[in-house]
Amino acid sequence: MALVIGFDTATDDTAAAVMCDGELLTESAAGPTAGGGGRPAHATRLLPDLEAAVGAAGGWEAVDRVAVGIGPGSFTGLRIGIATGRALAQALGVPLAGVSTLAALARGIRERGGGGGRPALAVLDARRGEVFAALADGTDELLWGPFVATPAELARRIAALDRPPLAAGSGALRFRGELQQGGAEIPAGADRVHRVAARDICAIGALGPGSDPRDVAPVYLRKPDAERWRERDSTDNR
Amino acid sequence: MLLLALETSCDDTCAAVTDGAHVLSNVISSQAAAHARFGGVVPEVASRHHLELVNPVVDAALHEAGVQLADVDAIAVTAGPGLIGALLVGVSSAKALAAARRLPLTPVDHLHGHVAANFLEPEPLDPPFVCLVASGGHTLLAAVHERSSYKVLGQTLDDAAGEAIDKAARLLGLGFPGGPELERLAAGGDPDAFGFPVAMTREPGLDFSFSGLKTALVYRCHELGEEETSRRRADLAASFQAAVVGQLTAKLERALDSGEWSAVALGGGVAANGPLRACVAALCEERGLRLKLVAPELCTDNAAMIAAAAAELEPLAYPEYLALDAATEAVERRATSNEQRAT
Ligand SMILES: [Zn+2]
Repeated sequence: MALVIGFDTATDDTAAAVMCDGELLTESAAGPTAGGGGRPAHATRLLPDLEAAVGAAGGWEAVDRVAVGIGPGSFTGLRIGIATGRALAQALGVPLAGVSTLAALARGIRERGGGGGRPALAVLDARRGEVFAALADGTDELLWGPFVATPAELARRIAALDRPPLAAGSGALRFRGELQQGGAEIPAGADRVHRVAARDICAIGALGPGSDPRDVAPVYLRKPDAERWRERDSTDNR
Repeated sequence: MLLLALETSCDDTCAAVTDGAHVLSNVISSQAAAHARFGGVVPEVASRHHLELVNPVVDAALHEAGVQLADVDAIAVTAGPGLIGALLVGVSSAKALAAARRLPLTPVDHLHGHVAANFLEPEPLDPPFVCLVASGGHTLLAAVHERSSYKVLGQTLDDAAGEAIDKAARLLGLGFPGGPELERLAAGGDPDAFGFPVAMTREPGLDFSFSGLKTALVYRCHELGEEETSRRRADLAASFQAAVVGQLTAKLERALDSGEWSAVALGGGVAANGPLRACVAALCEERGLRLKLVAPELCTDNAAMIAAAAAELEPLAYPEYLALDAATEAVERRATSNEQRAT
């Protein structure tokens, strides 16, 4: 018997789940806090939600593995999730599995999107008019990505595919028009498939050997602004 | 009681293990080099470094103390004030470490930590005392009547003392952090060459202000022109430093005027400044007061001081702290300077 706890804080949601031998025991997804500008509730919801989920499954001591979404996504959210995952795994003495947030989203699209055998395109809103995207076809292995691109660039890549993909995620909703022009099909906005589900973090994280907690790092895909400005300035001065 | 503490409020990733007033380990991983090329602390850069460093630093603190996580009785963490993204790395790590082992957790106010550094070996200082903390992040004059809290007598209204020094150092073409370099340059200059204003000495109260001083330096450099500024760098540095030290000591002196104090503690990164130490020492000697100079490794941001503060506070039992958030503002309940003045 193997108990896996999985969570993701790369998007505005705080997603948490507990799985035992591939069977989902509990799953939760808390949206941003009401008021206060809708700041994600990662810091205040993640551990309480995990504790509730783990409590129902036999307590922290019963946990065999921790799986955490490593992005791409919100920088602060990723750090909250990964710092939590590393500390939990270290304190419990169990392996930590870092799972691509886009791979988890793609898995949800494939399993619950109703797209038949079509490729699954996971697209998150990266702000600043760009998206984070990755494509999976039939397995959890990613065919492309993760990468950051403009919706127009992504639409061109979609148009070049043999089969049109089923796309979902906050970025697919935000740039629905552009991506549909490229040939992507996108489920209705209310469909749960657009949100990262922690059961998919658990399912992917349960595979493979897991890592030393210290080796799990975020996938930012972008440098800090200060770094980019500095590089731009030094290029201008050349 | 073995306490493991984490501190990630600014640009140092810190972890420490303490047993009462004894510091068993105090690991500080400075990111100064990473921020030097930007001339100051960049929050996103700091947060990324904290996440890279936090686990190795905690491991090192446990290892140096010769203990394992299973031996630790409680965990403490800086919950604010500071850079929110940086704080969240420490808070998230500390909460998860504590939760997995059902340990109690104490959120600590960073400034209370600087005050509590005085309670640690060697030569711990017991309240009552007046504490001056000057660093790149804060300038605080505090009345310490008990170990579990402090009263703010004065704080900076704009830049922190160390921040002003860093900005001045940058203007004079020195590296970051600017403190040691500015002091070295000033040593060869005349502190009376330029009459920079010692701000806030005419206003009542004990608050500080350093932004006007920085502006005065900018104007003076502009007036002098590039060549003359470069030629008189040492005099500019010495005069600027004298104005900073002058303001800090003037306010400390004013706080001591009530006559109720018998001891003074000087902490924070700027406390390493030689002329400041000399001025405060002279003031204390003149008034017959005990002066406690906090050890250098406990002066700059560190986690041992966070453990020292936590040791005086009621911890949150598991699972009360699971929803704990970081805060950019002060986090413990305590009297503010306004309340202090009203009484
Ligand atoms: Zn500090």
